[in-house]
Amino acid sequence: MTTLHILNASPSTATQLKSCLRVVSSGDGIVLCGEAVQALRAGSVAAQQLQACERGYRLYALQEDVQARGIDTATMPVTLLDYPAFVALCVDYARVNSWT
Amino acid sequence: MAKSVLLISRQAPWAGIAAAEALDIALAAGAFDLPLSILFMDDGVLQLLDQQQPLALEQKDLSANLQALPMFGIEQLYVAQHCLTERGLAESPLAIAAERLDDQQIQQLIRAHDYVVTL
Amino acid sequence: MKFVISVLSPSTAPSTRRALRFAQAALAAGHEIVRVFFYQDGVLSASNNIVVAQDQQNITQQWQTFITENQLDAVVCIAAALRRGVLDQTEAQRYGREAANLAEGYQLSGLGQLHDGLQQAERFISFGGE
Repeated sequence: MTTLHILNASPSTATQLKSCLRVVSSGDGIVLCGEAVQALRAGSVAAQQLQACERGYRLYALQEDVQARGIDTATMPVTLLDYPAFVALCVDYARVNSWT
Repeated sequence: MAKSVLLISRQAPWAGIAAAEALDIALAAGAFDLPLSILFMDDGVLQLLDQQQPLALEQKDLSANLQALPMFGIEQLYVAQHCLTERGLAESPLAIAAERLDDQQIQQLIRAHDYVVTL
Repeated sequence: MKFVISVLSPSTAPSTRRALRFAQAALAAGHEIVRVFFYQDGVLSASNNIVVAQDQQNITQQWQTFITENQLDAVVCIAAALRRGVLDQTEAQRYGREAANLAEGYQLSGLGQLHDGLQQAERFISFGGE
């Protein structure tokens, strides 16, 4: 039974990303929204951390946050979400863990 | 069968009221006899330390609430071992009895609950 | 699917707008929102005293409209609200405060309502921080 983790804080100032990557299970999902989408910047330390995690998880990001920040996600294995897709994802996974 | 909640508490006891408000969620679950476990993680592990003196900050002692947890039926307390280690606290005595978990055990703990509430 | 949605930040936070857009999408998709629970700084989102500049989105107003139009159960944690200065008529009288500022459509209640909601629902999502 899988968990959808939601991150919203900047990977530079908060410990959400590092901590989440320690406790994410194989098959879980991670949704980046708000400042957490900074982790999608290619070549960043946070992007490397996302890629270094050995457990297989699925990566998602809120499209409006990526667009607002002008982040190019072409090279990252991430699925962009609108709100209907975000809701559908919460239904697909067994539980949602919103990190604050 | 009642749905179970894992409360993940990540804030330091002296960094505002977030830690206390997280604990209130646990006490409320206990008051209604609902299954709730607490995992202390990141700066949340600091809530469990011995030798703290809240009166120096004119604040209420959070450890009193923590010690009340078993009376409310909340006995499943866990602490993230790597967070203690990162803070130089691997050997420090904990004022509250909590089971130390490694990353894999935390992954299992999350999967064992119906809901996760992270504050 | 039955949802409980929790709001933990004031209306100025992007997460509170995000929570609203999520809630709107959930209803649009035919899901049920058992309860919206306002906790921590989220209680500030239930104030009727907020004034927003003309050229900005009034998320507070939008939340209130969404709650009343869809007859949602919007619960504001009373302990969290009192310590942040969000009071209904009863509490304002009880504590001798000048103004009751809990917006129409919201109720003050305890954390038991959060747990009651979780026991009824199938999914919980909270929106806090920024």
